[in-house]
Amino acid sequence: MPDYDAIVVGAGNAGSAAAITMAQKGLSVLLVDRSDPPGAKNLSGGVLWGNDLARILPKWQNEAPLERFIQDKKIGFLTDKSSIIIDFKTKIFEENKVGYTVLRSKFDPWLAKKAREAGATVIPGITVESLAKKDGKIIGVEESEDIVTASVVILAEGINPRLSIEAGLRGPLQDWEVSVGVKEIIKLSPQKIEDRFNLTSSSGMASEYILGNLEELNVGAFFYTNKDSISLGIVAPMEQLRENGVTHTYDIIEQFKEHPSIAPLIDGGTVAEYGAHMIPEGGLEMVPKLYGDGYMIVGDSAGFGFSNGLVLQGMNYAFLSGILAGETAVEAKGKGDFSSDSLSMYRQKLENSYVLKDLKTFKDIRKVTNNKNMYTTYPKMLESILLEMLWERGQPKKKVRDILGSCAADLKMSKLKTATDFYYIYRRM
Amino acid sequence: MILDIKERLGKTKYDVDKSYAHITVDESICEKCPHHFCVMACPAQCYTLQDGKLSFQYEDCVECGTCSVACDQGSVKWHFPKAGKGVIYKYG
Ligand SMILES: Cc1cc2nc3c(=O)[nH]c(=O)nc-3n(C[C@H](O)[C@H](O)[C@H](O)COP(=O)(O)OP(=O)(O)OC[C@H]3O[C@@H](n4cnc5c(N)ncnc54)[C@H](O)[C@@H]3O)c2cc1C
Ligand code: SF4
Ligand code: SF4
Repeated sequence: MPDYDAIVVGAGNAGSAAAITMAQKGLSVLLVDRSDPPGAKNLSGGVLWGNDLARILPKWQNEAPLERFIQDKKIGFLTDKSSIIIDFKTKIFEENKVGYTVLRSKFDPWLAKKAREAGATVIPGITVESLAKKDGKIIGVEESEDIVTASVVILAEGINPRLSIEAGLRGPLQDWEVSVGVKEIIKLSPQKIEDRFNLTSSSGMASEYILGNLEELNVGAFFYTNKDSISLGIVAPMEQLRENGVTHTYDIIEQFKEHPSIAPLIDGGTVAEYGAHMIPEGGLEMVPKLYGDGYMIVGDSAGFGFSNGLVLQGMNYAFLSGILAGETAVEAKGKGDFSSDSLSMYRQKLENSYVLKDLKTFKDIRKVTNNKNMYTTYPKMLESILLEMLWERGQPKKKVRDILGSCAADLKMSKLKTATDFYYIYRRM
Repeated sequence: MILDIKERLGKTKYDVDKSYAHITVDESICEKCPHHFCVMACPAQCYTLQDGKLSFQYEDCVECGTCSVACDQGSVKWHFPKAGKGVIYKYG
């Protein structure tokens, strides 16, 4: 008899969600995390879309340590001197509060506590060193030469999945599969935050930017409000960084902070923390085989995430994939069958959910995020158009068509190239 | 508000394991490296070039894993720190 029905490696979003799902249905579950308390090594931008959490924790909005609900969502382009922002503020977000800013060092311990309350054994401060195998099956985990066995091991290691790689369940990560995320926490009083961003004591703002002010680098940035701090950071694809080869990741975030439209927003604040973490960027192509005899892979370890330069999501995919793996394990326990065949239901469930549907729909999104024009040329083009339209310089006005034509010429883009490029991006967004 | 990287790292909490380097590099490989891309990629300035020679320190590492991908020459040996050691985010 194995020691547990299930062992979950990693108490991040995906692992804790899986553990809760299984423990609630009476499975014996061991949840281990390398940090104590769990979450102390995790870092996220911080907008959590919690629709899926309601499936296992119906009262999550009242109980979880949340910062501010997202009432105001902005997306924008920055050039050297300008910012062009779409500011989407809607009553709909207020009436359906599902998006919240979170700080992982507060949120993750709470979620792990929920796993414990559901009946899981939670052990923080243990780094699993390797997976135990027998006859080609995963039968448990190893730490300090001890083997703990389980019918199924759920791998929720996050984006740096040492165990899965070492066991050959996925290959080593490649440049195209990851971005480097760099983040700072800037302390600012609640009063300042609420005045500056026109918020109430519970509402918040989340902005994402395309940084058109960096030459030859496609980098996105984020800026989110917490209760008494700002989370801000940049997301730089590894491929871009290598190709560029002369820019330090730690400098890019300062360039963002120095931008004339960002600096005033953090004026008077103090840096309270600096950190970094990778982000899955490879889409469908980076997804490994998701299950096998005695194991399933969930969350970032499986490459589940979505980013298109203006949207950055992974926590929701982590929750849902964790829940679906948990449900699969519950069914497998019912059948008394944890073979690869039986666990293939996990893939089926993912196929029927937005996790794999999104990855399939946006399978070509990297072609957009890798498109240099998207980051350098088009923000400048937008800036030129707006200058022509909105800046009265005592000169004859032009029609939009002519403005576009002359902007394209200034930026050495033919009209045809611009039009085909726009169509290309539009088809893949 | 713009801070030097060392000053920013000073804001982050660590429990450094003085007796165990969780990441090591192979100097003989770094010597022949055509790009030293780790120096650009590491967000914690753990990799620096001194007189053209790579120098590495693990103490400021935030365990992001970036260098394990950035080094394509097989020099970086990457492990997690021993349990409880390393970076401890207060916010995350
Ligand atoms: C800068 C940045 C901004 C982001 N912004 C957003 C955002 O705004 N919204 C959003 O939805 N997503 C965002 N994401 C993505 C999101 O953070 C991830 O997709 C999500 O955290 C993945 O959850 P996970 O459970 O798969 O992995 P993690 O949350 O990384 O959890 C993995 C856990 O496993 C543990 N672990 C790993 N190996 C072992 C081992 N061998 N033994 C024991 N424990 C182990 C780790 O310590 C960790 O606790 C962002 C990411 C970054 C880096
Ligand atoms: S990229 Fe690898 S081989 Fe090159 S200097 Fe850095 S650690 Fe050494
Ligand atoms: S893991 Fe990240 S912070 Fe640590 S040395 Fe490597 S790149 Fe630098």
